[in-house]
Amino acid sequence: MSVATDRQPAATVPTRRKRRPIMPYWLLIPAIAILVIGTGYPTLWQLTNSFREYGLPQQFGKPAPWVWFDNYVTLLTDGQFWAVVLRSLIFCGVTAGVTLVIGLGIALLMTAVGRTVRLMLQVSMLLAWAMPVVASMTVWTWLFDRRRGVVNYVLDKIPGVDMYRFDWLAEPLTFFFVASVIVIWMSVPFVAFSLYAGLTQVSEEVLEAADLDGATGKQRLRLIILPIIRPVMSIVLLLQIIWDLRVFTQITILQDAGSSASEFDLLGTYIFKLGTGSQHFGMAAAASVVVLIITLVVSGGYVWRIMKEDSK
Amino acid sequence: MKKTMVGIAAFATAGALVLAGCDSSADETSAAPTEPGASAEGQNITLWVMGGDTPAELRDYLSTEYAEATGGTLTIEEQDWGDALSKLTTSLPDSENTPDVTEIGNTWSPTFTTVGAFSDITDMYAELGGDSLLKSFVDVGVVDGKNYALPYYFGSRYNFYRKDIYDAAGVSVPTTLQEFSDVTKQLTTSDQSGFYLGGSDWRNGISWIFANGGELAVKGDDGMWVSTLSDPNSIKGLEMLQDLYTNSSHAPVGEFDSTPWVNINDNESTGKPEAATIIAPGWAHWSIGDLSENEAGDPINVWNDEKNGVFVLPGVDGGVAPVFAGGSNIAISAASKNQEGARELMKIIFSPEYQEMLGANGLGPANLDYADSLGDDQFAEALRTSAASSKLTPAAPGWAAVEGSGLLEEFFGKVNGGGDIAALAAEYDEKISALLNG
Amino acid sequence: MNKRRGRRIGLSTLGVVLALIWVFPVYWMINSSFLPNRTLQRFTPTWLPFDGSFRNFKAVLADGSFFTSLGMSLAIAAVTVFFAVLFAFLAAIAISRFRFRGRASFVLAVLLIQMLPAEALFIAQYKMISSVNLLNTVIGVSVIYIAAVVPFTVWMLRGFVAGVPADLEEAAMVDGLSRTRAFFKITFPLLMPGLIASAVYAFLQAWNEFTVALVLLTKDESQTLPLWLRGFVQASATRETDWGQVMAASTLVAVPIIIFFMFVQGRMTSGLVSGAVKG
Repeated sequence: MSVATDRQPAATVPTRRKRRPIMPYWLLIPAIAILVIGTGYPTLWQLTNSFREYGLPQQFGKPAPWVWFDNYVTLLTDGQFWAVVLRSLIFCGVTAGVTLVIGLGIALLMTAVGRTVRLMLQVSMLLAWAMPVVASMTVWTWLFDRRRGVVNYVLDKIPGVDMYRFDWLAEPLTFFFVASVIVIWMSVPFVAFSLYAGLTQVSEEVLEAADLDGATGKQRLRLIILPIIRPVMSIVLLLQIIWDLRVFTQITILQDAGSSASEFDLLGTYIFKLGTGSQHFGMAAAASVVVLIITLVVSGGYVWRIMKEDSK
Repeated sequence: MKKTMVGIAAFATAGALVLAGCDSSADETSAAPTEPGASAEGQNITLWVMGGDTPAELRDYLSTEYAEATGGTLTIEEQDWGDALSKLTTSLPDSENTPDVTEIGNTWSPTFTTVGAFSDITDMYAELGGDSLLKSFVDVGVVDGKNYALPYYFGSRYNFYRKDIYDAAGVSVPTTLQEFSDVTKQLTTSDQSGFYLGGSDWRNGISWIFANGGELAVKGDDGMWVSTLSDPNSIKGLEMLQDLYTNSSHAPVGEFDSTPWVNINDNESTGKPEAATIIAPGWAHWSIGDLSENEAGDPINVWNDEKNGVFVLPGVDGGVAPVFAGGSNIAISAASKNQEGARELMKIIFSPEYQEMLGANGLGPANLDYADSLGDDQFAEALRTSAASSKLTPAAPGWAAVEGSGLLEEFFGKVNGGGDIAALAAEYDEKISALLNG
Repeated sequence: MNKRRGRRIGLSTLGVVLALIWVFPVYWMINSSFLPNRTLQRFTPTWLPFDGSFRNFKAVLADGSFFTSLGMSLAIAAVTVFFAVLFAFLAAIAISRFRFRGRASFVLAVLLIQMLPAEALFIAQYKMISSVNLLNTVIGVSVIYIAAVVPFTVWMLRGFVAGVPADLEEAAMVDGLSRTRAFFKITFPLLMPGLIASAVYAFLQAWNEFTVALVLLTKDESQTLPLWLRGFVQASATRETDWGQVMAASTLVAVPIIIFFMFVQGRMTSGLVSGAVKG
C-alpha cells in the first residue's frame, strides 16, 4: 500500500465530476467568513489609522486628521526603534532556534521510549503548557528572584560561585537570558506535541527497512523522518518565529519585576507602550504595520518555500 | 499571481465594507441624552473603583444608600490600576458600556478631563462641598472654569522607621533633608539599607525635586507645557537623590514603589529588617509591625510602638518636604445614560456620613471639614501634616501618557544608577515634553 | 542486544529527566499553593509543603466567583474549539483534496494572517464587538478566538488530510461505498490524532488568553478564569498580594485542562494503533 513519503496532496479528480468543482468553495466559506470578521476589521482599522493621528482625544470623538506617512517617518527615524528591532531579531532567532531543536528532540524521544516514559513526558509537557501565564511568570520570577530564588540558592552552593543576591533582571543580557529560558520552556510543549503528531505518520516499516539496509540513526533521521515531517516543522518554526518576534506578556511581566527601561524592550512591549501607555494609537498602528513588514521580510523566503512545497 | 491578487482584492473590499459599516456606528460618543426633569428613580448604575482602596464597608454603604435613595441597584466594579488605563480608554466613550461614575487617579484626571470624558458638574459643586473640597485636587478636574472631576480621597506619604535600630545607633529622627541623607547613610550596612528606596521609584523620588523648589513641568505663557527636569532646582534635588540612593539604599535600580513595607518588618529568615527607614503611603501602617495571627488564624502585622515609628519627610530647611499627593478624583462619565442616577451617587459620596467613613478608614476625605474623622493617632497626624504640603503631578493634558510610557521610571532608574544627571535630564525633558501636551 | 538495551535505558532516563525539568515550575506552583504567604516570602525555599493547608484554596473559592468564571471559560473554550476545528477541517479538506481557483491565495492568506501583530488591535476589537452589542458575551469573545486559531489549525489539518491518500477512499468506493461514507468510515478515523491535537491547541489558546478577554469582558460576572486570576495579583491599599492564594487560584485554573487532556489522550494515540496508514 502507498505510504505518505512525499508531500503530494492527494488530489484526484474523477472524470465524472465537473471540471470546476464548487465543493471546495462551499467548504471554505465558514473559515473565510470567520477570518474576515475576526481579523479583517481590526486589521483594516489598524492599517487605516496608521495614516492618521489617533490619540486619546480621538477616542472621545475628536476627528482624526490624516497625517499620511508622518507616523511612519517619526518611527523609522527613531534610533530607539531600530535598537528594539535588532534586539528582537536576535532574541527571536536564538529562542525559536533552540525551541525547535529541543522540541524536535523531545518529539523524537517520545517515539523512542516506552509507554510509561512517553506518558510522563506528555503529561509533563501538557502541564507546562496548561499553566496560566500569570502563574508561570510568577513562579519563574520567584525562581530567579535575587533574594528568594531557587536558582541563586542552588547556584550559590557550587563552590567558587557567588550568586548571593545576584539580580538577574538588572542587566539586559541576563534579563533576556531569563526571558529566553522562560519562552523556550513555554514553547517547547507546543512544538513537541505538534511534531510528535507529525511523527506518528512516519511508518515503522520504512524505518525498519532502512535500518536493515544499514542506515544509521542519523541517516534515518535526515533522509526519512525529517522530510516527512517537514510541513509540520515548517509551520511550527514559522509560528515560533512570528511569536518570538512579537513576544509581549512574558517581557512585560519580567519588566514589572525588574526594570521597564527601554533597554529592556522588545517589539511587543515597545508597541504596547506606544499605544496603551502613551495613547498614541496612530503611531502604535504604524509600528504594527512596520513589524508586520519586518516579519514578512524575515520569514518571506520561508513562506515562499512553504507555498512551493504546497503546490507540488 | 493574478489569482492571488484577485483573492486579496476581494478580501480587502469585503473588509473595507465591514469597516465602513462598523466605523460610523461605533464612533458616536454623543453626550448622554437625558431628558430634562428625568429622575434617578430606578436607574441601575455602575461605579468603577480603582484597586482595593475603597474598603468593603464603604462599598456596602454606597449600595445600600443608593438603593434607598433611588430604588435602583448600584454595581461596584474594581479595576486593577495596571489595566485601568486601557479599560477607561475603551469603555468611557462607549454609551452602552461606560461606567456611570468612576474613580480616576488624580494624576490621570487632567488627561481625561481635557478630552471630554466627563460630565460638567459645576452646578453641583457648591452642594457637594464647594470650597471645603481639597483645592489642588479640584483644580486638576477643571477645564475652562468648569468642574468635571472632584476629589474622592487623598492620601499622603511619610516615613516609617525602626526605633530600635535608630536608638541602638544613637541616631535621632532627622529634621532637615540633608540630615536625612546623613542619618540614613550612617545606618546603612552591607545587608541593611538605611533608607530603602527603589531606583526607579519616581513617586517618592520627586519629593527631592519638590523639596528643592524644582518642578516636573510648567505651563509656559504660550499655554504649552514643558518638562523642567533640567531646571537648576530640579537638578539640585536629583543630585541629592542620587547621593542618597547610592549611599543608603540596597534596593535594585529597577524597583518601583510597590511594597516597601516588607522591608521594614523583621524578615523571617534573618530576624532583622532589610531597612531602617522607608517611605510609604499612609495606609501601609496596617502592614507594618510584629508578626502575629488574628482570630481566623491569618497572619497579620501588629504595630509595635517600641520598634515602629513615623515621621514626615523633612524639608531642606526644616519643616515639611512636599511629597507626592496620593489619592483619586471621582467623575461622571459624559457618555453615561444614567446621568441622574450618577448625580445621586455623587451626593451620597459627598455626604457627611460617607466623608467621615473615609476618614475613619485612613483615607483623607475630599471635604476637609471632615478631616478630623481621620483621628488623632500618629498616623492621622502624619497624614495631615504631610498632606498639607503635598504636591500633585503637573495638570498637563498628556500626563497620563507620560505615566503610561514609563519614562519617569526609566529616568529615575538611570539617575540612581549613577548616570550624568544633566545629560539625562536634558534627554528626558525632550521625551516627556513631546507627550505633555496631548 | 546490550547496546540496544543500554540505549533504551539511556533514552528513558533522559526522558524522565526532561519530564522532571519541564514539570518543575508546575510542581512549584502546586507546592506553593499549600503554603501561607509568609513562608513564601522567606529567603530559603520550602521544598515540600509539610506544614501546608488548604487555607489558600478555601479563601480563593470563598465567594464563588471561581465558578462563574469557570463557566464562562468553559463556554468560550467549547464554542471556540468546536467551530475552529470544524471550519478549519472543512477548509483543510478543500485545500488538500481539490484544486481550484484561488487556492493559492487562500493558502497564502492563511500564512500571512498569522503575522499580524495583535498588541495594538484592542481598540478596534472593542469597537467592533461593542457595535454589535456582543461585549461581555460568549459569542463576542469566541469570534475573535476562533479567527485567531483557525489559520494554524487549517495548516495542521491540511498536513494530516494530505497524509491520508485519496486512494483509500477510492478503494472503498470500488467496494460499493459512496464517497462520503468512505470518507467517514476510512479517512476520518485516521485524522483523529490531528483533530485531537487541533482541539487541544484551540482549547489552550482560548483557556489562557488574557488581553482580548480583558478588553471585551468588562463586567465581573462575565470574566474568564485568567481575568479572575489576575484579580488576586493586585496589591491594594489595605492588603498586599497573597502569593499563596495566587498559586492556589492558578492551580485551579490549570486543573480543567489536565482533565480535558486525560480525556482525549487515549484517542490521540489510537490513530497510531489502527495501522491502516501503513497498509
